Amino acid sequence: MAVIHDVIPAFELFQPTSVDDALALQARHGAKAWVLAGGLDSFDWFKDRIKRPEVVIDLSQVKELRGVRQAGDGLEIGAMTTLTEVVRHPMIREKYGILPNAAEAAASPQIRNQGTIGGNVSQDARCWYYRGGWPCYRAGGNICYADTPAGLNREHAILDANRCVAVNPSDTAPALIALDAKFVVRTPKGERVVDAENYFIGPGTDITRMTILQPGDLLTSIRIPSTWAGAQFFFEKVRDRAVWDFALVNVAAAMVMSGGTIQRIRLAANGVAAHPVRLTAVEAAVVGKQCNEETAEMAGKLAIQGAQPLQYNGYKVPLLRNLVKRAIRGEAA
Amino acid sequence: MPNVTPPSSKYKLIGKNYTTGDLYAKVTGKAKYAEDYRADGMLFCKLALSPMPHARVRGIDARAALAMPGVKAILTADELPAPANSINDNGTVILANPRGYQALTNEPLFQGQPILAVAAIDELTAAEAIEKIKIDLEPLPFVVDPLATLRPGGPNARTDGNAWVRLPPPPPKPGERPALTPPELQTVKWTSQDFEEAKQGRLPTGKPTEEWHVGDVDAGLKNAALVLDETFVTPNTSHQCLETRSTMAYWQNGKVYVHTGTQSTAQTVPAIARWLGVDVSNVVFISEYTGGGFGSKITGDITLVIPALLAKKTGAPVMMRITREEENFIGRGRPSLHGRMKVGFSKEGRITALDMYVICDNGPYDMVGDAFSSGRIVSVLYQPQAMRWRSVTVLTNTPPRSAQSSPGGMQGIAIMEPVLAKAARKLGVDQVAIRRINAPEGKAPFGPLTAGKQQYATSAFIKEALDRGAEQFKWNERKVNTGKRNGSKVRGVGVSMSTYSGGTTGFDGLFIIKPDGKVYIQSGVGNLGTESWTDVHRVVAELLGVPWEKCELTWGNTSKNLPWTCPSGGSQTTHAMTRAAHAVASDGILKLQQIAAKDLGGKPEDYVVANERVSRKGGGAGMSLAQAAQRAIKLGGVYDGHELPKDINNFTVVSATALSGQGLMAVAKDKYPHDGNTFSFVATFAEIEADVETGQYHILDFLAYADVGTVLHPRALGGQILGRSILGIGHTLGQKWVYDQQYGLPVSKRFHHTKPPTILDIPDKMAWAAVEIPDPETPIGSRGIGEPPVGGGCAAILNALSDALGDEVFRRAPVTSDVILASLEAGRPAQDPLRSNI
Amino acid sequence: MADHELTDPGCSHSNNSNLISRRDVIKSVIATGVVSSTSYLFRVSKVWAQASAPGAVDRLITLNVNGQQRRVDVMKQETLVMTLRYKLGLTGTKIGCDQAECGACTVLIDDVPYYSCSVFTHTVRDRKIQTIEGLAKPDGTLHPVQQGVIDEQGFQCAFCMSGFLMATVGFLKINPNPTRAELAKGISGNLCRCQDYDKILTAMMRGAENLRKA
Repeated sequence: MAVIHDVIPAFELFQPTSVDDALALQARHGAKAWVLAGGLDSFDWFKDRIKRPEVVIDLSQVKELRGVRQAGDGLEIGAMTTLTEVVRHPMIREKYGILPNAAEAAASPQIRNQGTIGGNVSQDARCWYYRGGWPCYRAGGNICYADTPAGLNREHAILDANRCVAVNPSDTAPALIALDAKFVVRTPKGERVVDAENYFIGPGTDITRMTILQPGDLLTSIRIPSTWAGAQFFFEKVRDRAVWDFALVNVAAAMVMSGGTIQRIRLAANGVAAHPVRLTAVEAAVVGKQCNEETAEMAGKLAIQGAQPLQYNGYKVPLLRNLVKRAIRGEAA
Repeated sequence: MPNVTPPSSKYKLIGKNYTTGDLYAKVTGKAKYAEDYRADGMLFCKLALSPMPHARVRGIDARAALAMPGVKAILTADELPAPANSINDNGTVILANPRGYQALTNEPLFQGQPILAVAAIDELTAAEAIEKIKIDLEPLPFVVDPLATLRPGGPNARTDGNAWVRLPPPPPKPGERPALTPPELQTVKWTSQDFEEAKQGRLPTGKPTEEWHVGDVDAGLKNAALVLDETFVTPNTSHQCLETRSTMAYWQNGKVYVHTGTQSTAQTVPAIARWLGVDVSNVVFISEYTGGGFGSKITGDITLVIPALLAKKTGAPVMMRITREEENFIGRGRPSLHGRMKVGFSKEGRITALDMYVICDNGPYDMVGDAFSSGRIVSVLYQPQAMRWRSVTVLTNTPPRSAQSSPGGMQGIAIMEPVLAKAARKLGVDQVAIRRINAPEGKAPFGPLTAGKQQYATSAFIKEALDRGAEQFKWNERKVNTGKRNGSKVRGVGVSMSTYSGGTTGFDGLFIIKPDGKVYIQSGVGNLGTESWTDVHRVVAELLGVPWEKCELTWGNTSKNLPWTCPSGGSQTTHAMTRAAHAVASDGILKLQQIAAKDLGGKPEDYVVANERVSRKGGGAGMSLAQAAQRAIKLGGVYDGHELPKDINNFTVVSATALSGQGLMAVAKDKYPHDGNTFSFVATFAEIEADVETGQYHILDFLAYADVGTVLHPRALGGQILGRSILGIGHTLGQKWVYDQQYGLPVSKRFHHTKPPTILDIPDKMAWAAVEIPDPETPIGSRGIGEPPVGGGCAAILNALSDALGDEVFRRAPVTSDVILASLEAGRPAQDPLRSNI
Repeated sequence: MADHELTDPGCSHSNNSNLISRRDVIKSVIATGVVSSTSYLFRVSKVWAQASAPGAVDRLITLNVNGQQRRVDVMKQETLVMTLRYKLGLTGTKIGCDQAECGACTVLIDDVPYYSCSVFTHTVRDRKIQTIEGLAKPDGTLHPVQQGVIDEQGFQCAFCMSGFLMATVGFLKINPNPTRAELAKGISGNLCRCQDYDKILTAMMRGAENLRKA
């Protein structure tokens, strides 16, 4: 367990100016290297002296990773684009308003000025045992402290737990899933484009990682297709304090209606599993239904099917249910 | 500005806003807090903290660390001075508690307790050295839940006991000073039968270690129209001052120079002397700015001995930067109280009997008085016709506690107010009315009988605060909003009373009128942000008739000769030090009159002091203050400080002696009469809106109406009233600790776990006001205000929540969205109220 | 950490402050224009970049702080708040949590508020850094937002003040005429433990008004 805090161990720092250079550095240093985006997740690990990379590759000087571009009918957002830029960008605001809402809810103003969209979706779990340096499954041990009889798990998973019960804390992730975003990943073998919901992995796939990124990989941009431009959006984050705190549960939805009937919908939640959950069963069930309280009720019930609450997080079941109901009703908080 | 009652018009300065003398330095970043000091050759130290909740150090191997280049010294518990007795102002000896908290230990009693420290040429080296030190720890039994240790066979936090019991002081031996003994450590276990009630979520009430009663509680309950029996638990919360208790220290010519935060400049000197085992005269303490205290830095913090001793050992200045995580461990906290209230009400809502039981989660070290205070405060605030108070103060392996704004008062009020709110609903009595009918008035009695009599307050005008507050808040119009639904949103209104002690007496004032005509006021009050370090001295300028601009304040550095001053804690300062200011101003005026009479003829009382002059009544001869100062130097003796009053504190004697001969010295002790115990009061009103689908709620409107006597400085008062209100609100909104009971370790180490309120968790506009009826038992009529708003803020929100959501939602604070949602879903309080730190 | 060398062969003088007098340091600063590497907090470490690596970083950098170019020797893992406080003597910027959770360390970088505890100094080379010490004019005239604090007796202990001021100045650059609620949101990344939020907002609103009039 870490004893010393707020004194970062020495490391070698590289500040490449291109993606190619960054990838070359990653290739050279392999698992010894730590890729730094906005840094707000990384700093905690470094200051607590839990993660001690020998090499840090800081992406702040890589201009090509930053900014929002038109891409076909849609948009492409560089992974190093800050949350503030996402919040303020007129094109994003105009057509994909759910994303600025989620990005704004994600963090305090200063964190938004520094934190990046790529970092927000790639951040590590915030389980207080794991982040506190406890030698749990996710940290390479063989126990989940949050899932013991005395474990404190108010903020933990109700779905898809597999040994580890930590949740994914990202607010932008479910919004991007609702928008059917594509994540562009550069790997040593070349470029790979994955659907937003497939970027994230659960402990069943790899208990030490939150995303598909392997050492040597780099998330370079996020593409937002025009499919959901101007749709009816819903995003709500429930948390304890209005600033800084991570979501207890958040829900994001994009919905296209016609004459009171739901034509198409994408719905995702976070804070309920180790990865953001796309609620495909709900989506399938509500398409073609009237957008009314009855449909909302049905959607809410369906959303929590299979939920397995722990001792202190039972409230997440009605919370997820109610937020999904609201999403179908189309009311913003 | 919010709704400030117009300040008293009889004063020129008192009750008026002004710019405090420290603000320019603060606003430009020039104000130096402890960690802002640098010294040539300054070393850094880092601490090794216990990873276990309870362990014994079997061995320390620091060879590898000490061999590192740049590592200068290691300090262990073996090198600390033994705990020393202290003597209070009455001459009573306070015997040191051998089980009291020390800066370093060989038997850590909570995770994060410092075991040793290393000084090195830089912090990185010190950190790496700490990591190289092998500490062999033998794990010992631990407990982090106060109820768990009371169970039959439950673990004890210390090897030799689990509860503090205060014993009556022994009668002083002939020829010896009276002594106060530390509490006794006992082992208290309740029976399985006692714990039967816990199964129903009711607090078990086994054999108490302390109790008192007044009146016939059984009869009062029997004759009541309504009896409620409620369990409520308040959270452990850290003070979390934004400035951690970092310290820089060095030695020069046998004196130790200490830079650290404190609430009380003068009072910290004897504390440092005692902790370091040096004479008071060899302590120079510098603390011009302190980044918050809230009770956790009343006389600095004992941790300061670490850099001081390392500085001595290395012969170099040592800086100890305390990190936020370390501050969570050693920065002190408010103890949780588990409370049970059995209360009888008449049909009008008057409390016929109150049977109160509290269990205090004390942490492993020095006994805090929160359990005792909670009973006293409930007694004075609700004036029950009969009352019994019982308690146990239990030790747990969690960080040491200390007073936190309204210690015990906040918890007692948070436990009692929901009972009152529920009773009002059951009896069909208005919430303001049920408080008014129970509120204290005038010389209100409270507490146990001593020699057949209760103690009593100096004054109480909370009924006025309730009346005026209800009117300003438009209570009668708003209360119809109760339960009003708008979609998933529901409204509720809440009102709470609150009180706490509002001042002490008997301290010294000191100033000099120098030949430049200016008044040089010495302030021993700590500058922790309340502004009392300067506000109280406005009384001197007011009485002397000197413009504030001609007053120079010296503060925050004990080499600059400061007078003996009250500790700034428990809302003492405004009351205690306006009295001292009044006393010293009167001394100054008398000396001016005497000098004038000597030089210009007549009797002293023929002269008045005003407009920077002492002049004959009705016009005629006089002299300027500058001239009088010159005359005082020539006259010497009592006039320039060469002769001093016999009754002032020795600390003041030393300071006054050093300053003698520079002008007209006024120096005096507050000896004004004072009949009763001083309390301040506040009536607090809030409206909230809760969302039954998410459990979230927002405060829509808030008013705190205070009874603090004469207002000294409206803006500073407003800051205190609302600031401390929000501190209390934080206890409702989310502040808490989270401990894993299996391992005895905290998992809540970050602000996003412990949840101090942010600027968006409260309304962007809040209101405050003051009754402004002077307290009759103190010359200026001012009382302190730091503590009372805390309980009011906490309980007004609790009451607004139950007003909106009903009585079956929460049994503890904080009330977070998960609690609300789960309870609404279950149709009953869904959270086990008796488990701690979840 | 294998490397505990205390001196840096690449540097002109020792970092052991016991070995050199203040005058020597001042002389060396004047001579080289370099802020002393005999910093209080950090030793000079021998972990060096391989010169050939793309993106390798030099420790000796120039920072633009409060309008001045400051040459300073910065460790790779050094945060901006440490450089400001312990190498440049700018102690008005405070460390409240060192974890991006309180805002006491807020400074402006190219006019945008950042938590300087969570910025590596090496990432802000060639950017414009402004701290509380750079707000007032050289003649001592306060910035209009500072004046707002004076006008309203804002803040209590004031440990959070410089962070709040910098956050407010940064926010007012993008919204010079906010409502009270907008301002609260704009400076919501700053924590005040005295919980003087009401008076702080009053002072900052006054500051905004002062700024608009200026």
